[in-house]
Amino acid sequence: MSRKIVTDINEVPTEVIETDLLIIGGGNAGCFSAIEAKKVDPNLRVAVMEKAHISRSGATAAGMDAINTYIPEGKTPEDLVRWSRSQVGGGPIREDLALSNARELNEAVEDLESWGLPILRDEDGNPKYRGKWDISIHGEQLKPIMAEKAIQSGADIYNRVTATSLLMDGDRCVGATGFGIRDGKFYVFRAKATIVSTGGACGLYKSYTSDATSSHHQTWMNPFNVGSGYAIGIRQGAEMTSLEQRWVATRTKDHCGPVDTISVGYKSSIINAKGERILEKHYSHLGGDKAPRYIRANAPMEEWLAGRGPTYADTTDLSPEDAKDLKTDYLNERPSFVLFLASRGQDITKEPIEIYGSDPYLVGGHCQSGYWVDIERMTTIPGLFSAGESAGGTPNKFVGGCATEGKLATRGAIKYMASVSLPDLDSGQVAKEKERVFAPLLRGPEFDGVSPLEMEERMQRLMDEYAGGISQFYRTNEERLDYALKHLKMMESQTQYLYAKDLHDLMSAHEVLDRLVVAEVLVNHLKFRKETRWPGWQTRSDYPELDPNFDCFVESRLNKATGEVEMFTRPYEQVVPGDRYKA
Amino acid sequence: MPPRVDREKCDGCNAQQEPLCEQVCPGDLMALGEDKKAYCRSRRDCWDCMSCTKICPVGAIETRMPYQLGYHVAKLIPMMGTDSITWTCIDINGNVERFRYKNRIEPE
Amino acid sequence: MEKVVPKIGLFLCVQGGRLSRTIDVNAMAGKFAKAKNVVRCEVVNDVWDPPFLDSIKKDVESSNIDRIMWVGRFTQHQIKHIEGELAATGLNVYLHEWCDLEEQGIGIEGTDPAVLKRKAESLVQMSLARTRLLVPLAPVELPASDALLIIGAGVAGIHTAATLVGLGKRVHLVEKQSGVGGKVALLSRFYPRLCDPHCGLQFALDKLLRSDLVEFHTLSDVVSLEGGPGNFEARIKKRPRYVNEQRCNACGACTAVCPVDAPASLALTGESSAGPVVSGAIGDLLQPKQKAVHAAIPMAFPSAFVVDRDLCPPGCNECEKKCPAQAVDLNQSEEDQILRVGAVLVTTGWDPYPLSRVSEFGYQRYPRIISNLEMEQLLGADRLGLGSHPELSSADLKEIGFVQCAGSRDERHLPYCSSVCCSVTLKQAVHLKETNPETNCYVFYIDVRSPGFDEDLYRRARNLGVVFNRELPSRVISNPVTGKLELQVIDPALNAPMEVNLDLLVLAGGMTPAQGTSDIAQVLNLPQNSYGFFESHYQCHPEESQRTGIYVAGCAREPMKVSHAIESGHLAAMKALSFLEGSILIEPTYPVVDKAKCDQCKRCMESCPFSSFVFDEKGFPIPDLARCRQCGNCMGLCPLNAVSLGHNTIKQMAAKVGAINPSFMGDKEPTVLAFLCQNDAYKAAREAVDKGLPVPPNVILIKVPCAGSVNNALVADALSNGIDGVLVGGCQDGQCHYVKGNQLVQKRSADLGDKLKSMMIDPSRVRFATLEIRDASKYVDLMQSYIAELRVMGPNPFKI
Repeated sequence: MSRKIVTDINEVPTEVIETDLLIIGGGNAGCFSAIEAKKVDPNLRVAVMEKAHISRSGATAAGMDAINTYIPEGKTPEDLVRWSRSQVGGGPIREDLALSNARELNEAVEDLESWGLPILRDEDGNPKYRGKWDISIHGEQLKPIMAEKAIQSGADIYNRVTATSLLMDGDRCVGATGFGIRDGKFYVFRAKATIVSTGGACGLYKSYTSDATSSHHQTWMNPFNVGSGYAIGIRQGAEMTSLEQRWVATRTKDHCGPVDTISVGYKSSIINAKGERILEKHYSHLGGDKAPRYIRANAPMEEWLAGRGPTYADTTDLSPEDAKDLKTDYLNERPSFVLFLASRGQDITKEPIEIYGSDPYLVGGHCQSGYWVDIERMTTIPGLFSAGESAGGTPNKFVGGCATEGKLATRGAIKYMASVSLPDLDSGQVAKEKERVFAPLLRGPEFDGVSPLEMEERMQRLMDEYAGGISQFYRTNEERLDYALKHLKMMESQTQYLYAKDLHDLMSAHEVLDRLVVAEVLVNHLKFRKETRWPGWQTRSDYPELDPNFDCFVESRLNKATGEVEMFTRPYEQVVPGDRYKA
Repeated sequence: MPPRVDREKCDGCNAQQEPLCEQVCPGDLMALGEDKKAYCRSRRDCWDCMSCTKICPVGAIETRMPYQLGYHVAKLIPMMGTDSITWTCIDINGNVERFRYKNRIEPE
Repeated sequence: MEKVVPKIGLFLCVQGGRLSRTIDVNAMAGKFAKAKNVVRCEVVNDVWDPPFLDSIKKDVESSNIDRIMWVGRFTQHQIKHIEGELAATGLNVYLHEWCDLEEQGIGIEGTDPAVLKRKAESLVQMSLARTRLLVPLAPVELPASDALLIIGAGVAGIHTAATLVGLGKRVHLVEKQSGVGGKVALLSRFYPRLCDPHCGLQFALDKLLRSDLVEFHTLSDVVSLEGGPGNFEARIKKRPRYVNEQRCNACGACTAVCPVDAPASLALTGESSAGPVVSGAIGDLLQPKQKAVHAAIPMAFPSAFVVDRDLCPPGCNECEKKCPAQAVDLNQSEEDQILRVGAVLVTTGWDPYPLSRVSEFGYQRYPRIISNLEMEQLLGADRLGLGSHPELSSADLKEIGFVQCAGSRDERHLPYCSSVCCSVTLKQAVHLKETNPETNCYVFYIDVRSPGFDEDLYRRARNLGVVFNRELPSRVISNPVTGKLELQVIDPALNAPMEVNLDLLVLAGGMTPAQGTSDIAQVLNLPQNSYGFFESHYQCHPEESQRTGIYVAGCAREPMKVSHAIESGHLAAMKALSFLEGSILIEPTYPVVDKAKCDQCKRCMESCPFSSFVFDEKGFPIPDLARCRQCGNCMGLCPLNAVSLGHNTIKQMAAKVGAINPSFMGDKEPTVLAFLCQNDAYKAAREAVDKGLPVPPNVILIKVPCAGSVNNALVADALSNGIDGVLVGGCQDGQCHYVKGNQLVQKRSADLGDKLKSMMIDPSRVRFATLEIRDASKYVDLMQSYIAELRVMGPNPFKI
């Protein structure tokens, strides 16, 4: 029970589990990883560490209304890569990864349908495309369907166990440690290969609706994905890529729900307070309504700044049937939006839906921020693989792409583990990590220190104001970034004062600790890219223009010895021929 | 967004160690109180995925919009079938809108 | 798992044109011949025409058809016959779907043909949807023990054991006392023949002695019971006898040297009137002194002696030293044993109600007031080897009174009647009068209950001059000088009080469940009724408890006379025989838990009326196949739809519900889906149609094993499909074949009703109704008023 109070580290039981493949994060990619592993080799021992309960954990908790990438008849995987590249301003992206993903994408989506996911089809049986690549689904049961398949496959699911660090043997990863949020145990997973699929990082920045009584987690992405997967790798010196490419998109104002449904699905234009169609008016040179995502994301914010807000997705020309279909879509992905509209008595055919930006997130499945991985999906730490939104280099993966990544990472992991034998358990390492993990709980609720909530609020406001959060319309500059780094480091020196009153609080404490690590690396990335390549996602007021010298990947690595974050670049390699900037 | 638990209806899932809402919440926000009924330990942290609302076998949980976002009071009520779901939405002016669709198919 | 593409043979069986009276069967056949997965579809005029069945057999054998849907009116016998014949050609009996259109009202003339057509098509679609999902199933054979555990070696236990070993079954008799016989061993005489109870007991014991199949476990208690029918594992704790049973030859040398002279233990009778209150010879008879080492009690069987160790003076081991067979072992300790048995029979009997609580009659307050059980001891005194007792036949015990219903039929004590006390008193009075004609016996009563042939006993008593007074004494006191009793009682004939002086007053007290019944109930997880007796199923299955494989018989179940207790034990044993066969065959319609969906909330385990669920190695609840009674309540209440009955899965039921055309009545009339329990409600509905009652055509029925097997998700499916009303028909409280299925579904329906209300849907669209097996008219009235209400409510808002 969450209320257990522990006063002595020796009271905390340790459970050691030996497995072949460890999957950290039982979400979309994680489930597919588990299923694929058992399909390839039913005798493989597979363990999944899941912070919540696999039936509804992760980004797809409420469901999904669309699978945003599914290659239609007549199009090729190369076409998809070209489109993806153009959506991020021509890249640079990891075209090798994107192509290998695109080749298996459709099969992963068809798997989902064969497991019971309703894909909407027309009378001829063809999937209904709502956009160029997006197909409509009724995905309210998407997560339970994947979870059931993962359980059926025979993988061992450890629900309510959160990962706190990787288990290392020298420089290679041989598993992970964590703790049980319900049972209060310390878990040690010894694994020949480990896949991190914990999703992205939400809550590094303050959400603009967050206040004392409510709406702290009024975010587009799942606020319980905090970037722990990134943090555990970063701490062991893993190389991360493109963290500065933060995911910012237009969202329903205040409610912060998805808007692609409306703008792509129902072709509603984005208008300002004057009723002008802003993408056509100001961004036709960049493609108008088909402009890159970050342009479409930033446009409404620019209108606000210019005094022409509020901004809307114009739904007033929708027929009542379309309006109902639109709401049905929302019910499948973010049902509370329908409740939100009802709480305002809003008829969207009469009043358009107000839109705005959101706080920035790190999401390697929409943008490309995450682990640098090779073609086998292995990170720069041998034995550690990454899939889904934790893996970097390829934007526009979405549900289908992350599912495919899960399969690819598993195949890479299985290949790798063929030559691996596990070392003896390093009890010193385990003991040290156990102390670190339970320290806040052992300090107890009466400790004169800092609560996880206090530290989280400080960090979120710091990031918002200094590292390009929404209150700053995503703008930042060198001095502010330095300020952010300075204060992040101060907080890191103060984590010794964190206390937790129960296991849920201990989870919150570690969420803050992990977010701090990610935030620090993120700020370093923002500092390093001295240009503005993707306005909104990454806006430098002091370097407002694009600089061709930065037509490359920005990489980071924590130097474990010095504790400093080292920044460097990697060159872009074009694999799919054609004009980078055109779909 | 935060879940409201009807204390009359809630039976704490027969005071099991983990009631269903606590089992399913992706944010670990639902818990069993001293009175053996479920409650949300931090309503501002809810992401309104509505998993708790859907799963409660006695229908004791209701999702609400916080006043910061929407006015008093609208309702969105899911009813789970075996392979379909219905939603009934009642806005603050009493207008009722109903939705239903299949959420699982038996593949060919 | 390979996906099987179904190949359905669909046969519309008109049997002389009944169906074709109201629907165009040829058009229907034409339509469904084109349905998905249907490979053969035709109208059949005579199912019994041999070429027809032969053609099906050929199709089955050549794998053209892998399942069959029968549309038509068939009796249960006919269904069994056809399934059996086709099973011989290899078609699994679970690959048939039987769709009776007539029971759903098709065939009733006078209904709009368009409505009948749409309804008939819906019904065929429903069955077709289910047929596609059928899978072949086979019964499961579980190896089982052939031993019966009998708890309580009293008259019921012993006689039943004797019969069973005669049938070749092994029996373990567990008895808490050191000897067998229970209460009957304490009795003096049986009525009506006034014969010696030990005779019958000994007869049965002799049979047992000659058999190798029985094991006695005296001084033993059952401390735990694991497993299920066919495979129970009982742990027995045996208290030390301190005598080696093999060596002891019951010579009595030990008793002779035992220095102890203590009052007899009350273990046999619970309470005693003896001690400081009833003294003298009577006291000696009622509570004779005992030694620490003595013969087994109540009957000296097993023959080995026993030592009441707590009576031994410290350090004394005279008996051990003196025993010529070296059979005494004062260092014996407790023993544990595990018994593997197929079934358990509980015959733990009764104990007398503590008469000290019935203060108005002075038991334990005044001398010379005893209980009816103690009277048995007195009357049997000459057999107890205590010598002759002149007082019994002297003038000192001449006036003897009996008070009936002492502490019975009384809200303050036992509200029920123990059924035997009147006959016992009559027997005692008759015995007294026959052996000592000078005795005067007075029976004070409210009613004399001597049912059946016991009326004879009453006549005998009257003829012998026993005085019957139809009033209970209002006052009982003891004369301090004479020590005799003075009673005040109304003479109803004179309607005036009179005083009666008595030498002895016998209180005819009632029976309560034996001491330790609650402990056994806990160990075996058996529910008790409000009086503490083990719950059973009364009329139809009196010996059955709510735990499959555990039977209760005799006075452990309710007060009864000896012959009934013996019969009761035998009835229970007959039922138990099905679990003593060496293997058990389980029909494949048991519940299966989908572990990919189950999140171990354990609702099924908590609510199963028969406590049939156990945990598997991973902590998932699974049914013990032998305990489970396949009622489907688990399927009904699982909030995640994770449980399905074999051959009646959630998906199959959902497919049926989803296939209904919600507007089959046209756009003016409401449609109703009724889930009716197969034991009662469904039969009432069927009878209504068969009797030609005006059953409204708006209703489509689905038969279910128990009302409690209907999951709310199916009701939600029906409503979301646009059906206007959903009714669940089941049994009244106390009548549900599965104890509480009706209650479970009513609670769920109420919760769903609340949700509907919040959704601005009239909650009474969904309702529960109770129907007994012949409530055909009630069914019609119920449906008519329900449909009238639905008309007023208007169509279901989810109807497209």
